[in-house]
Amino acid sequence: VATDALAPGRRFPDLQLPDHNGGSRSLSEVAGGDPLALFFSRGWWCPKEQRFMHGLVQLQDEFEVAYARMAVVSVDPPEVQAAFRAGLGARFLFLSDFERRHLDQLGLRETTDTVHSPYRPATFALFPDLRIHSAYNGYWYWGRPTHEELRQDMRAISREIREDWELP
Amino acid sequence: MTAVSSLVWFDGSRLARGAGSAGRRFRADPRCFDETPIPGCFAHVCALVDEDAALPYDDTLVQQARRDALAWWIPMLGPAYVCVTTLALDAVRFGGAITVARDARAFQSDPFARIFPGTVVPTDLFCEVPAPGGPVVERYSGAAWPGGSFAPRPQRQ
Repeated sequence: VATDALAPGRRFPDLQLPDHNGGSRSLSEVAGGDPLALFFSRGWWCPKEQRFMHGLVQLQDEFEVAYARMAVVSVDPPEVQAAFRAGLGARFLFLSDFERRHLDQLGLRETTDTVHSPYRPATFALFPDLRIHSAYNGYWYWGRPTHEELRQDMRAISREIREDWELP
Repeated sequence: MTAVSSLVWFDGSRLARGAGSAGRRFRADPRCFDETPIPGCFAHVCALVDEDAALPYDDTLVQQARRDALAWWIPMLGPAYVCVTTLALDAVRFGGAITVARDARAFQSDPFARIFPGTVVPTDLFCEVPAPGGPVVERYSGAAWPGGSFAPRPQRQ
């Protein structure tokens, strides 16, 4: 990810956005004391996003038993996200920036798509306090994290924050 | 975590809070009582008064109901949703679940009713709690629902 403000070691802004049900959520609340994998996504229409989201649905089975969170941010309105989420079979949260309030603040506007003005695909592995552990630029599909890389990120964060990582 | 304020009693037809209330005692998500209660709501109590009616949280029935709650039950309730909590008996046993909504029309679809039958109870006890973000369904020490955090809770009276 190009923007220096979103580099590892920096703190990700505690965005406040409506979720797929329309309720307002903050990222820190979504993290809820756990590591958070935060995905910025173009939207439901993009075939690359559809493929990537199907992969995340496979990965959610591990996240749900491993005390880690997932959330997806896109410019789709909440009702579209809710339908997309239901179709995917996702159990994680979608957050809607349909007003495009944070695109430029975060430096994540995909300037090459002037039709949808979406987020540029990017992934951040965050500590519970929203410090950035790692960042991925997914403009090209192969720039996105693999499942194995996400597992490694969650392992590294969990090792640092779980006091009982090494059994007493 | 065992403070009175996170406890709720169910006698088969009514919910009550406060030590000495009639019925079976459960531990709910304390956040359901943290704020000003919303009057005129309905609780779908999927629990029994029989003390033997319990399953381990790790039971696949319980885990799947929690997954279903995250996947479609809470979204299905839409703006009627107020809060949802499982009902812990101790650190490992699940005694049921309560979904609170502003109307009771969707309660027949409650995934927790597959485990213990549901009873619709008018209630003024519960406040609005953001739905769990998911996909986490696991918690240490029988915390009633996975929306919380490992951070220590403030001491409750």
